[in-house]
Amino acid sequence: MSGIARGRLAEERKSWRKNHPHGFVAKPETLPDGTVNLMVWHCTIPGKTGTDWEGGYFPLTMHFSEDYPSKPPKCKFPQGFFHPNVYPSGTVCLSILNEDSGWRPAITVKQILVGIQDLLDQPNPADPAQTEGYHLFIQDATEYKRRVRQQAKQYPPLV
Amino acid sequence: MPTSRDTERHRSTTMDEIEELEPLFDYSRVQPVNPITIDDDFYDDDDVIFLDGKKRKTTQTVEDDKKTNGKGVSVVNIEDQDDDWLPPPPMSASNSQRSIDDDSTLKKLRLKKQELASFAESAKQLLKDVEESSKFEVNDSLQSSVDGVDEKSLQHSERPKIVISVQDKDGTKQIRMFMDDKFERIVKTYADKIKCDQKQIVLSFDGDKISSSETPASLGMEDDDIIEVHVKSR
Repeated sequence: MSGIARGRLAEERKSWRKNHPHGFVAKPETLPDGTVNLMVWHCTIPGKTGTDWEGGYFPLTMHFSEDYPSKPPKCKFPQGFFHPNVYPSGTVCLSILNEDSGWRPAITVKQILVGIQDLLDQPNPADPAQTEGYHLFIQDATEYKRRVRQQAKQYPPLV
Repeated sequence: MPTSRDTERHRSTTMDEIEELEPLFDYSRVQPVNPITIDDDFYDDDDVIFLDGKKRKTTQTVEDDKKTNGKGVSVVNIEDQDDDWLPPPPMSASNSQRSIDDDSTLKKLRLKKQELASFAESAKQLLKDVEESSKFEVNDSLQSSVDGVDEKSLQHSERPKIVISVQDKDGTKQIRMFMDDKFERIVKTYADKIKCDQKQIVLSFDGDKISSSETPASLGMEDDDIIEVHVKSR
C-alpha cells in the first residue's frame, strides 16, 4: 500500500533532480535524525516575471497521503497567505488538486507546481477560499495589487 | 640478329605502305579476278617470306581482290543498270549521313563516359574525404583521451567524475567535472561568459545556496543533477 506512494515519489524526486523549471524547488523533508521523509515535500514557487508576483519565492509544503497517486497531495502556503484561492490555513484551492474534480494520478509534482504558479496571477473568482483576498480582488484592484507586491517582498529569494 | 631486325623493319614499313595505298585504287573494278595465279603467287610468297616490299605489295592487293570479290558482284550489278562508274550519290549521301549519326551517337557516348568518369571521380573523392575525416576524428579522440588519462594519472589517480546540468534562465547546459572540483570554477566560467562580477553569480542546488568552496561530493550530488545559476542585479 505504502509501496506505491513511496515508489512513485522516489521517481518524482529522481526526475526532478534531473530537470525542473528554473527557480522552482521541490525536495522531501529531512528529519532531524538525517532520514528523508518522502511523504512531505518542501517546495518553492517563484512568482512569474512580468507580474506583480515577480521577485517573490513562495514557500509551499506538499503533504502526500498513502493513497497517492490515487489521491492528490495537499498543498499549503504559509498560514494567512494572501490570495483569493488560498484558505486561511494556507491550503491551495485548485481544480487539479481536487480528487473529485481535476486530479489525475498521472499529474506530476512539476505540473502541480507550475499549475500553482499560474494560479498566483490568475485567481479564480468563481471559487474563493478567503474573504480578504477575494474582496480586494473584486472591489479594489489597486489595493489588491499593492498587497500582492508587498507579499512578494516578504518572500525574497533564499539564495 | 641484325638481319632479322632489318626484315622486321622492312615488314612494318611495307605494311604501312600497303595500308596507305589500298584505298587509292580498287582492283576489283578494273581487273577480272584470276584465282589460280593469285593462289600460286600467294603461296610462293608465303614460302619466301618478305624478301622485298614490291612482292609483298602485290600479294596484298591480290588478297584484297579476293576479299572484295563477293561485294564486287553487287557493285557490278548496279553499274550494269546505271551505266555509271561512280557509285550512286544517294548511297554516299546516306553513308555520310550515317557517319554523322555515328558521330553524334559517339559524341553522346563520349559525353556519357566523361560524366560517368567524373561521377566516379567525385565518389572517389568523397570516400577519400570521409576516410580522412574519420581518421582525424579517431586521432582527435585518441589524443584527447590520452591527454585526459595523462592529466588524471599525473594529478589524481581514480578521481571520480560527474556530469551535472547547469540551468540559467535561458536554458540548461551539461558540465563535466570531478566530484572534488570546487564550484568556484563554474562561478568563474559563468561570470566570464556573461561578463559580470563573480559576486553576482549565485549557484543553488535544491533551493540551497552553494558556497563556492563546496564540491559535488560534499553536496551528495549524482549524475545529471541540476544546479541553478542566479544572477543578482546590482
